[in-house]
Amino acid sequence: MLEVKGLRKVYEDTSRTVEAIRDVSFCVGEGELVCIVGPSGAGKTTLLKCIAGLLAPTAGGVIVEATPVVGPPPAMAVVFQEYGRSLFPWMSVHDNVMLPLKQKNMPAARREELVRDALAAVDLKGVESAYPWQLSGGMQQRVAIARAVAYEPHVLLMDEPFAAVDAQTRADLEDLIRVLWRRLRVTVLFVTHDIDESVYLGQRVMVMSQAPTVIMEDVAVDLPDERTQLETRSMARFGELRKHIYSQIQLAKQGWRPPAG
Amino acid sequence: MKAAQASKVRAKSTARAFVWLQGLGGLVGFALLLEIVPRIGLISPNYLPPFSEIMAALFKEMTTAVFWSALSDTLEAWAIGLVISVVAGVVIGIAIGSSRIVRTLTHSTIEFLRPIPSVALIPLAVLLFGSQIQSTLVLVIYASFWQVLIQVLYGVQDVDPVARETARCYGLGTWAQIRYVTWPTALPYLMTGIRLAAAVALILAITSEVAIDTQGLGKQISDTESGGAVAIMYAYIIVAGIIGVIVNLGARALERRVLAWHPSIRLDAADAVA
Repeated sequence: MLEVKGLRKVYEDTSRTVEAIRDVSFCVGEGELVCIVGPSGAGKTTLLKCIAGLLAPTAGGVIVEATPVVGPPPAMAVVFQEYGRSLFPWMSVHDNVMLPLKQKNMPAARREELVRDALAAVDLKGVESAYPWQLSGGMQQRVAIARAVAYEPHVLLMDEPFAAVDAQTRADLEDLIRVLWRRLRVTVLFVTHDIDESVYLGQRVMVMSQAPTVIMEDVAVDLPDERTQLETRSMARFGELRKHIYSQIQLAKQGWRPPAG
Repeated sequence: MKAAQASKVRAKSTARAFVWLQGLGGLVGFALLLEIVPRIGLISPNYLPPFSEIMAALFKEMTTAVFWSALSDTLEAWAIGLVISVVAGVVIGIAIGSSRIVRTLTHSTIEFLRPIPSVALIPLAVLLFGSQIQSTLVLVIYASFWQVLIQVLYGVQDVDPVARETARCYGLGTWAQIRYVTWPTALPYLMTGIRLAAAVALILAITSEVAIDTQGLGKQISDTESGGAVAIMYAYIIVAGIIGVIVNLGARALERRVLAWHPSIRLDAADAVA
């Protein structure tokens, strides 16, 4: 479904060279929900931009649905952390969600239906004609998620989408992602720096080292599929996974790296 | 939230009315000064007739066909020149601004041409078109085009990288990106450019009429001056000033309408709560 092979990214300009990603390889199966977690400065955003086709890797590559990525893949939607900048302030909520659909060849009635369904799916109704900046942060990120949902992607990339909202809203949005993922059967790659969030959301958590980035460990999250903020987070197993990943991140921060191979 | 927003809107419009009143007070004071200075002989009424005489001359002049055709000639040259400048500034600005190479290549040329005063082109304009409207247009367009171009160039480069990446991720092509991302981003800059260009265009239209005798208010000013009709001359100068004020108010009203979504004009959710 989604395959990252030997990906390397080096930023070069006239004065210096920075190796952001050394060697990253992994696969995400169809319909999987995988979280990527790492310390700040781990090159998470660089990795995500390479996967999204926004940035050309120095070596290696990304394959989405058997097609090598050279530009943004048509079956992929991205939700950015900076919802305030990713939503267009000159367009209403409705038009923001509609805009990507205008680029697709489909009947107008079908477009309207997709916009309506997507807004309903993220529990936003009656704000179609409002502008994004008239809404709270959490609602704005819901609009951004609705825009992604309406696009009918096969792969959904999320780049620390909830880093800028308050804790309560964040919990609600996490549950929303789980619900949408199960309902739409979409493949989700979720980047975060929050260990709890990665364990709560993911079926797998990939722990990244500091830059130049490699993958420290690929952790399977063996928690039940039905997850609730209250019960899941108080399970003993949740605590164990959390502790394990936390210690891995601490190692990463100290500069420890897995042996090459 | 709604009530807070409404009260904020009210507060804004009250503040605006107050500013208007102050501005009006200033004008009345200035008119009084113009009345008194010649009357007490500080300046000879031969050079500066009292304000009341100027106004009387103005009302009388307004009944003549000469006045109205001069007014419409000036406005015509102003409007045609402004439209050409804005269209050219937008098209060329987007074309240059969208490519870094073209931007670098044209930068020094623009910085060389831009400071050349339009009036320096008067001999050239006369040589080419004599005292026809085209001469006025050359000066008007040369002066106002740069105002628009420079603003559009800044605006085009101000596109938020996150907005750009969002557009690319969601499959917007070059044209769709220009229309839905670049254009709205550049719009606030363009509005500033239009406001500046509208004022400059008016200045150059009248300058050209005074200097090269093309038809319009400026020609009336120089004709009445040489004919010794000083009060009428001042009347035309006042008309030129009034047009300037109206142009500026119009440009600001347009700005408020077109940019209702922009942070400088909109009322944020955060604003309404505060």
